Amino acid sequence: MFANVTLTLLGGFLQTLKLFVLTLAFALPLGLIISFGSMSKVQAIKVPVRFVIWVIRGTPLMLQLLVMYYGPGIILGLNVWGSGDGGRFVAALVAFVINYSCYFSEIYRGGIQSIPVGQYEAGEVLGMTRSQIFFKVILLQVIKRIVPPISNEVITLVKDTSLARVIAVYEIIWEGQSFIKSAGIIWPLFYTGVFYLLFSGLLTVLFGQIEKRLSYFR
Amino acid sequence: MAILEVKNLKKSFASTEVIHDISFSMEEGETISIIGSSGSGKTTLLRCLNFLETPDAGVIAVRDEVLFDGSVSGAMQEEAIRRRRLHFGLVFQSFNLFPQYTALENVTLAPKLLCRENKNLEPEKILARAKELLSEMGLSERMENYPHELSGGQQQRVAIARALALNPDILCFDEPTSALDPELTGEVLRVIKELAENNTTMIIVTHEMSFAHDVSDKVIFMDKGVIAEEGTPEEVIDHPNNERTIRFLSNYKNGNQ
Repeated sequence: MFANVTLTLLGGFLQTLKLFVLTLAFALPLGLIISFGSMSKVQAIKVPVRFVIWVIRGTPLMLQLLVMYYGPGIILGLNVWGSGDGGRFVAALVAFVINYSCYFSEIYRGGIQSIPVGQYEAGEVLGMTRSQIFFKVILLQVIKRIVPPISNEVITLVKDTSLARVIAVYEIIWEGQSFIKSAGIIWPLFYTGVFYLLFSGLLTVLFGQIEKRLSYFR
Repeated sequence: MAILEVKNLKKSFASTEVIHDISFSMEEGETISIIGSSGSGKTTLLRCLNFLETPDAGVIAVRDEVLFDGSVSGAMQEEAIRRRRLHFGLVFQSFNLFPQYTALENVTLAPKLLCRENKNLEPEKILARAKELLSEMGLSERMENYPHELSGGQQQRVAIARALALNPDILCFDEPTSALDPELTGEVLRVIKELAENNTTMIIVTHEMSFAHDVSDKVIFMDKGVIAEEGTPEEVIDHPNNERTIRFLSNYKNGNQ
């Protein structure tokens, strides 16, 4: 029984992991682009971007998942997600990427805006170009400052992936819960908790390492 | 030939006129101190010279090359501004060292990035020159330290070396000791004095009157965006003629008693 449960949960965890990794892979860079949009001096860019961030951060991710999956079919009559498990996964991924990139963008914005203007000016009077100033002077300081809040979001994401079940993406809790019906046992649910704890523990250590690596300057 | 010529410079922020028609010139090797109460436009003047602010009107010329002319319409291209800036160096009140680089890297960073376009900066010599500058600043033991490991006075001396590494025609100081603890101002002022003795062309905005008196060839007293009085340190600081200079200096003396 234990081996059977482990195997089933591993299958679900793989789905969880896939959603987690792909969400980060897209949302981390997309967030940077959104943050530039939200800091734009052009109102026609800044205002709509900030509006979207407000909507995404102001509504539940669960709601966004449902709208993302059912919306295109019901409103537009388009089957954009394709059929079956693959389609549901892609819909969930898109919803996660949009949601998390908005959160990341606000972290980036906070990080970038916290760098004293004197750092830019020092680069300017030394004749550096704008991109040299950003990449050689500003970026590493921003990264150092945003590691703690990013690590927070990333650990939240590990657990948020379980929400994908509302559109029947068979992640680990879904699999664990299935044993309640099929075998009348609850311990597989606790077992899923162990997976989460181990994984978030691993991430905590990883982010701790990054923080330590960047502790050589202030 | 004057190394710097500033004519009828004006600058306003919103509706506040910070610099109202300033003209002066300086010779190569000269040291000019600019004194005056806060809000008189001293810092803004330096920031205009370094193109951190764009003046509204006036002319800035270095060695007869016009760098800025307010009567020519249209905003300057970023690239043009960047190249013109290199005539000037600026040492900030708050140092603004780059925290993720060592003292030595702070000094070499810009020359390394610029040596491709500037033939005066030979790549092989950048490191040696940076070490030499830091030694002159009395920091030969501190080259591998990061800014947060240095005292304010040491940080400011690194910042001076960093500005000198690009061989600016004119080095500007914006209240270089105002952010320092009193016991650390001496080491920074000493270094600046040595530069003056070696005929480095400098413009220094400062509140240190006795330092300004010692180090300057010329003192400019600014008040409400204009040059109220200018002359030798003996003229302006010891024997001021202008009523506003007299009032400023007596307030300064009272504040220091």
